[in-house]
Amino acid sequence: MKHAGHVIRLAVVLIVLGVAFFAVRSVMVPEGFGTHHSYTYGYFRAASEQEQASLAPVYRGSDKCRGCHEAQHANWSQGKHVSVACETCHDSWQAHNNNTKEKVVKDSSIHACMLCHATLTGRPETFPQIDTIERHVAAKGKEYQPGTTCIACHQPHNPI
Amino acid sequence: MDKQRRQFLKQACWTLLGSGLMVSGTISLPRAVAAASGRQHRYAFLVDTHKCIGCGRCVAACRKENRVPPESYRTWVERYVVSQEGTVSVDSPHGGEQGFPALSAQHNIARAFFVPKLCNHCKEPNCVQVCPVGATYVSKDGFVLVDERQCVGCGYCIQACPYGARFMNTVRHTADKCTWCFHRVTKGMLPACVLVCPVGARQFGCIDDPTSPLAAVLRTEKLQVLKPETGNEPMVHYRGLDKEVR
Repeated sequence: MKHAGHVIRLAVVLIVLGVAFFAVRSVMVPEGFGTHHSYTYGYFRAASEQEQASLAPVYRGSDKCRGCHEAQHANWSQGKHVSVACETCHDSWQAHNNNTKEKVVKDSSIHACMLCHATLTGRPETFPQIDTIERHVAAKGKEYQPGTTCIACHQPHNPI
Repeated sequence: MDKQRRQFLKQACWTLLGSGLMVSGTISLPRAVAAASGRQHRYAFLVDTHKCIGCGRCVAACRKENRVPPESYRTWVERYVVSQEGTVSVDSPHGGEQGFPALSAQHNIARAFFVPKLCNHCKEPNCVQVCPVGATYVSKDGFVLVDERQCVGCGYCIQACPYGARFMNTVRHTADKCTWCFHRVTKGMLPACVLVCPVGARQFGCIDDPTSPLAAVLRTEKLQVLKPETGNEPMVHYRGLDKEVR
């Protein structure tokens, strides 16, 4: 019993260190952090899932546009461009419906159409493509007027 | 005097031991509760390389939807050009965001096609295994996500991804990647790239129900995945993937 003091002192030091470890750990480790559905892949902070799920969508889909633009929506939904969402050409719903109420993007330049319809190596052969507007107009047996854009003949919402 | 000291030490020991147990108890509790919830849904992505026209609207929409910093890409489109001699060249100017330039005839092209790429949301993701701080994980619905508050920006996951789908976000200085638009899917919406694709080259859906359209496609069609040999079990499936695609 002569040396019991040494053992007790050592035990106290170890216990203090152990408690300090858990105390620091409880402060440093965020709430909900730990193993969830899997030890290998499910080791994370639980609130992170919710935080990411709560981000606001920027693109809202074509149904959302119908509320105000019913005529355009009806026309578009009957045409070949029905596979092209409103926001593909007109920019996102949020850009149009933020505090500044930006006007809908209406890019009627040849470039806007050619992004998809220019003849390009790698595009499926069945996809409608044109070389240049000049040659396309000539091929249709018409005379090309400088400055003419695609929408002079083709309605973008319901093209023929 | 001596007796008092011994009593004090005894009591101190019990107090410390007790408080230690209490602290460790509060740490282990949330784990047990969360573990019971388990996985909920399974999702899959399908890319049709026969349909892609390389317009790059997906890349542009992704940037706006997810505030992706300039010159970083959560999704991008590659163009593969195979010559008559069999040489392969790949280009992806600005990730395809502004479309692709026309190719000159000197390429002597045998075949050419576009391949959209994005995070594969693997079932066995390397990137998650290497994260030293638990900042990247597989969500209960199988989405591979990055917790930007936990990420220390070490970049191990960026190196571990065999698909190059991850990048360092230059604004936040954390790892960043495609989330399959987790914030949209949890609200019942499609990922932004799928929404804006004009030709239906990208499809996304829940595959819990075997009768759902995408589940049926995965079950009945001959599809491919990128780099199956890495064992990551990618969940982005490709229709018509050429042997030259890496």
